[in-house]
Amino acid sequence: MTTPVLQVDALRRSFGPATVVDGVSLRVDPGETVGLLGPNGAGKTTTISMIAGLLRPDDGSVRIQGVDMAKDPLAAKRHLGLVPQDLAIYPELSARSNLFFFGRLQGMRGTALRRRVAEVLDVVGLTDRATGASKTFSGGMKRRLNIAIGLLHEPRLLILDEPTVGVDPQSRNAILESVEALSGEGMAVLYTTHYMEEAERLCDRIGIMDAGRVIAEGTRDELVEITGGADTVTLVGEGPLDEVEVAVAGIPAVREVRRVAGERRLVMMVQGAPQAISAIVATATGAGMTLRDVETSRPDLESVFLHLTGKALRD
Amino acid sequence: MGRVLVMVGSDLRQQVLDRSIFIFGLAVPLALMWVFSLIFAPLAEELEPVTVAVSGPADDPLTGTLVETLGGLDDAVDVTVLEADAADVPALLADGEVGAGVLVPDGFSAALADGDAPQVQVRLPESPGLEGEVVTAVVDGVLRQFTATARTAAAAEELGGQPEEVDAVLAEDAATGPSVGWAQGETADEQLSARESIVAGQAGFFLLFTVGFGVLGLVVEREWGTLARLLSMPIPSWWVLLSKGLSSWLLGVLATGVLLLAGSLLFDDVHLGSPAVIAVLLLAVVAAATSIMFVIAKVARSAEQAGVAQTIVAITLGMSGGAFFRVSSEGALGTMLQLNPVTALGRGLGITAGGGGVVDLAPVLLAMGLMCVAMAALAVRVPGRRDVL
Ligand SMILES: Nc1ncnc2c1ncn2[C@@H]1O[C@H](COP(=O)(O)OP(=O)(O)OP(=O)(O)O)[C@@H](O)[C@H]1O
Ligand SMILES: [Mg+2]
Repeated sequence: MTTPVLQVDALRRSFGPATVVDGVSLRVDPGETVGLLGPNGAGKTTTISMIAGLLRPDDGSVRIQGVDMAKDPLAAKRHLGLVPQDLAIYPELSARSNLFFFGRLQGMRGTALRRRVAEVLDVVGLTDRATGASKTFSGGMKRRLNIAIGLLHEPRLLILDEPTVGVDPQSRNAILESVEALSGEGMAVLYTTHYMEEAERLCDRIGIMDAGRVIAEGTRDELVEITGGADTVTLVGEGPLDEVEVAVAGIPAVREVRRVAGERRLVMMVQGAPQAISAIVATATGAGMTLRDVETSRPDLESVFLHLTGKALRD
Repeated sequence: MGRVLVMVGSDLRQQVLDRSIFIFGLAVPLALMWVFSLIFAPLAEELEPVTVAVSGPADDPLTGTLVETLGGLDDAVDVTVLEADAADVPALLADGEVGAGVLVPDGFSAALADGDAPQVQVRLPESPGLEGEVVTAVVDGVLRQFTATARTAAAAEELGGQPEEVDAVLAEDAATGPSVGWAQGETADEQLSARESIVAGQAGFFLLFTVGFGVLGLVVEREWGTLARLLSMPIPSWWVLLSKGLSSWLLGVLATGVLLLAGSLLFDDVHLGSPAVIAVLLLAVVAAATSIMFVIAKVARSAEQAGVAQTIVAITLGMSGGAFFRVSSEGALGTMLQLNPVTALGRGLGITAGGGGVVDLAPVLLAMGLMCVAMAALAVRVPGRRDVL
């Protein structure tokens, strides 16, 4: 059995009375991409801060390449590349200067550093914008530079904390492609996001995180199994939604109904949506709902999250 | 440790690219030095000689004392007393022959002895100079002292004292003269002229802003996320702190050095002493100022908060350190003030301007060392926002 690149055991951390991370365990093997999927405030960044040695856990342990972060932080950090959620770049400096600066702090120098800077600029597609001050970059370019810095020293473990936030679809695709390429080269990747599509596309395994806990963990297909293969149906519209909720819950194919807080939207888990949809629509309109939109989807991580927590992943 | 220098180098480079250090560290303080020296320096330094016309009863002891006091103001303003008739005073003032007129009523001493408050009038020309105000202030001070003495004596008389005793007390006052004077507001240990004080004060005040450029960068970098990135690197976290401290310190020493040099070149009457000794003073004073920034960086939740806290600290230390007007405090507060880097810079430059060497600076250097230790201890102690830094 190979040593995992990252082994996290029962991490726990409170801020004052609030327990923000509550017993998180994770394992990432070489070449594997593991996702942490969870809504805002789930504790993803706090977990990553403890893994990267930025925050002391109240309890639990972190090992990178078998090195305990608490016992020998410098040795553990040598194998780690962190891409923080915030744009961790110096705005006054160019892309190249940012890379040279962080490269030197990683202990790189000379031709090896120069060669590697050129390589990562190429990977993230910033070669022709290497010299201008990075404050003039678009959001997507800044994100790409943020990632390039994390890759520079060819770490065994790359941690990306929501690397595509605020990025246009094109840059986003470029970012996802480079992450796929890296894991293809054998890098272990820990990837947090609250975009279900990204987790589904990139990750070999996914941990679903909510309120400080990993509430389910497995491959995409394993996770979807949890819902028993139910489809998701979403009704959008106005009317006496409380009464509509009760009415549609009476349909045998409908397994669960939730109101999305603050929105005129009912989300339900349905066994065999294509067959049941006409009955659902008829019941809802019969109960007084004016429909604006009806969406059905095959079981996905969104439905898993809804099933497990009763909340939508993004609201 | 080479990597500490990499961080310091990158920091300094970014400060140069950002340019605010040139504005707030050099341009603004230089402009203020110049403006303040235009406004304030003449007040203490360039009082013209003045002639004061005094009319009063002949052979009146207390009138004599008043005249002597005015004539004895030599150190501050050169006063010539001209005895005149009350009726002539307006004409003398109108012609510009005298800068002030003092009219003492008949029976002045006697009225005082009776516990009355006789009216002494000070007449000034249409646009009195500062000299006229000095004369007014001195006359006012002398009168207060006379009346206070007389009142005390009158009260003593009512309680059973003898009238002769009262007269004796007043006679004594007349003989020794009241302790009213007009000295330039210099404290004993400062040998700086008014203009030199302005240069030293502004340099000290703005130092508290310059040293923010390195250390308070910690708060900014916390917001940017670059601090998280630095701490995820295989370097000890205290190297990051050290590099920020070094950046602040270098910037502070350079900017303050340039300001003092510019002040000396700009004004020909500013002489601060040996550059080598001043350099030693700067190293210590800037280190102490830097240490304060670490406390701010630790408690501030955002760059904005840090900026506000820094401004409050700068104004408090600037005012109490005499950057805007002279202050002198004694006792415990005065001792505490010796720890203030702005006070220390002024005091230290007073010593160097007076020809003192490094040995003479020892108390100032010691105070700054104490300040560094105290602030470092405080920075470690106060609860911060994040645990690692
Ligand atoms: N230093 C801190 N002090 C107090 N509370 C904190 C601190 N850091 C995080 N928290 C709280 O911990 C909770 C989890 O925060 P965290 O940043 O880990 O969530 P997240 O899953 O990364 O969310 P997002 O998707 O918005 O980035 C939040 O409620 C947050 O307010
Ligand atoms: Mg986060």
